[in-house]
Amino acid sequence: MKPILEVTELTGGYMPNQPVIHELNFTVNESEIVGLIGLNGAGKSTTIKHVLGLMEPMSGSSKINGQTFREEPEEYRSQFTYIPEMPILYDELTLWEHLELTAMAYGMEEQTFLTRVRPLLEEFRMDNKIKWFPSQFSKGMKQKVMILCALLVEPKLYIVDEPFVGLDPLGIQSFLEYMVTFKNSGAGVLMSTHILSTAERYCDRFLIMHEGRLVLGGTLQELRTKSGLADATLDEIYLYVARGNVT
Amino acid sequence: MIDVKKLWSKRQSAHMTEKLKYFSLMANSGLIVSSFLLIIIGSVYYAKLLKVLPEHFPAVLILTIVFSFWLTRSPIRTLLKEGDLVFLLPVESGMKYYFSKSLSSAMASGSFSTLFLFTLMWPIVQVFITDGWMMYVVFGFFLIVSKVFNLYVSWEERRLPYKSHQLNYRIIRFIVNFVYVFLLFEEAYLFLIAMFAIMYVLKNFVFGIFKKMHGYQWELLLAEEQTLKMKSYRLVNLFTDVPALKQMVNKRPWLNSIGTFSFKKGNAMSALYMKTFIRLGDYLGLFVRLTLIGFLFLYLIPKGWWQLAVVLLFFQLLALQLFTLFTQYKWNVSFTIYPIKPSVKMNAFTNWLRQILIVQGAVYGIFYGILTSDWLIAVLMPAAAVLFSLVRLPALAKKHC
Repeated sequence: MKPILEVTELTGGYMPNQPVIHELNFTVNESEIVGLIGLNGAGKSTTIKHVLGLMEPMSGSSKINGQTFREEPEEYRSQFTYIPEMPILYDELTLWEHLELTAMAYGMEEQTFLTRVRPLLEEFRMDNKIKWFPSQFSKGMKQKVMILCALLVEPKLYIVDEPFVGLDPLGIQSFLEYMVTFKNSGAGVLMSTHILSTAERYCDRFLIMHEGRLVLGGTLQELRTKSGLADATLDEIYLYVARGNVT
Repeated sequence: MIDVKKLWSKRQSAHMTEKLKYFSLMANSGLIVSSFLLIIIGSVYYAKLLKVLPEHFPAVLILTIVFSFWLTRSPIRTLLKEGDLVFLLPVESGMKYYFSKSLSSAMASGSFSTLFLFTLMWPIVQVFITDGWMMYVVFGFFLIVSKVFNLYVSWEERRLPYKSHQLNYRIIRFIVNFVYVFLLFEEAYLFLIAMFAIMYVLKNFVFGIFKKMHGYQWELLLAEEQTLKMKSYRLVNLFTDVPALKQMVNKRPWLNSIGTFSFKKGNAMSALYMKTFIRLGDYLGLFVRLTLIGFLFLYLIPKGWWQLAVVLLFFQLLALQLFTLFTQYKWNVSFTIYPIKPSVKMNAFTNWLRQILIVQGAVYGIFYGILTSDWLIAVLMPAAAVLFSLVRLPALAKKHC
C-alpha cells in the first residue's frame, strides 16, 4: 500500500521550547481509515494543525505524496480536505454558495460539481435548504455543510476532527458510508474521534496519543498484542493507555 | 447560589461604565462639535419650516401618529447574557426582583426620552394647537403616564410564548395609544379620563392574567436584549470602532447579479469578496455613505481641477476602510487551507477593490459633470481611480500582507 500522508519525527507546539507533540511517526496509506484517539489535551488537534500546514513543525515533517507544505503549498493543500471539530461557515453565503465556492477554490469543473453535488445534498437531506444562510442552521446542519464541502472535492486524503458531535444518526451513517466508499476507491482518512465503538468498526488502524506522544499504534489485533490485553475492546485498551499504563 | 439582587446592580453599573466609555470616545471623535452644528442648522430650518406650513396643517393627526408609534414601541433593556439561559434558569423564581429593576429603569429612560421627543415637537404644538407652559406640563405629564403604562403592560405581553400573539396585543396597544393621544391633543379631557378606565381594565384583566399563565420567555428576552445592544453599538459605530459589533447579514437579493461570477478557480476569491461586500455588515453602507459625503464636498467646493484632489482623498478613505474586508476570514479554517496562494488571494482582493474604486470614480464624475457641465474633469475622475489603484493599492496591500 502506498502511503499518502507520512509524518516523521514531528515535534511542534505553540511556544518555542515548549513542544506539545513529541517525535510523532505515522502514516496514512491509500484505502485506509486511521483513527486518531486520545484524551482531551492529548495533542490530537495540534497534530492535525501541523498536518494541515497551519502550524510549522519545530522539527520533523509532514508530507503528502512526498511533499511538505513548505515545498509546494498549493499542491500540498489541494490533496486533502478537512472537516473541523467546530463548524466555521461564512455567515453571508448560502449553503449552495458554500459548495460552489469550495468547488471553485479546489479547481473543479462546473460539470463535475453539478453531477456530484445533487446526490450529496439528497443523501444528507439538505437538498431543500440550498438557499439557507448559516444563521438558520442548527449545529448539526452546520456540521453537515462542512462535511458536504469536504466530500464534494473527492480528494486523496480526508482529515476529519471529531465529526459525529451534533450530527443526527442518519447523518452519521451517511457520512460513514461515504468514507467507506471513498476508502474503497483509494482515498485515505485520518479521523480523530472519541466515539470508540464507531472507530472500532470503521477504522483499519489506530493511533493512540497520550500527553503529546504516540504510545500505541496498529490494527486492533496489534494493539491487543502490544498492550497484553487479549480479547480487549478498543475501549478497554484505550482506558488502559489513558491511565498511563503504557509509555 | 447567585445573588440576584446584586446581579442587577452589577450588570447595570457595568452597562453604565461601558456607555460612558463609548460616549467619551464619541466625544473625542468630534461628536460634540458636529452635533452642536447640526442642532443650530436644524433649528434654523425647523423655524423656517414652521413658517411655511399651511394654516390647515393636520398637526393633531401627525402628532397622534408619531406618538402612537413612539408609545407602542416599548423597548426594555434586560441586560441578559447568553450564559443566563443556563446559569439563571435555576433561580427563575428569584428573578422577579431583577426584572422589576430592569422594568423600572426602562420606565425612567422611557419617560425621559418621551419628554425629549415632546420637547422637540413643542414648537408645532405652540403654532397649531395651544401655547403656554401649563400646557407643556399637562401634555408632557399625560404622555409620560401613557409611556409608563405601555412599558408595564408590554412587560406582561413579553410573557406570551409566540411573537405573533405578542404582535396582536401590540396592535391593541397601538389602537389605545392612538385614541389616547388624539384625545389629548384635541384637549378632550373628559374622554381622556374614560380612556384611563379602559387602560385599567386592560392592565388588570387582559395583560395582568398572562402572569398566571406563562413564565418568562427567556429566549425572546435574550433576543430582544441582543437586538437592542447591537442597535446601540451600531449607533456608536458611526463615530468610533466597536469591536463587539456582530456583523449582520443582509441578504439583498436584488444585488445577487453583481456577486455572480463564472465558474472557474480564478473567480473563487473575487466572488467571495463581492458577496461579502454586498451582504455582510456595513461594507455597502460605508460605500454609499462615503459616496454621498463626497457628493456634498463636490457640491460645496467651487468647480475646478482641485476637485480631482477631493476625489482622490475619498478614494483613499474608501480603500482604507474596505481593507478590513480582506482580514474578514482570518479565523475561517476552510478559507485558510484552500489550495490558493496568499498572493493570489491578495491579487483577487485588490482587483475587486479597483473595480469598486472605478465605480465610485464614475459616480462622482457623473455627479460632477451634471452639476458643472465641466465634462473634462468629470471624465478624469474615474481615470483618477485607475491611477490611484495602480499607485496606492500595492502599497496598502503590502501593509496588510
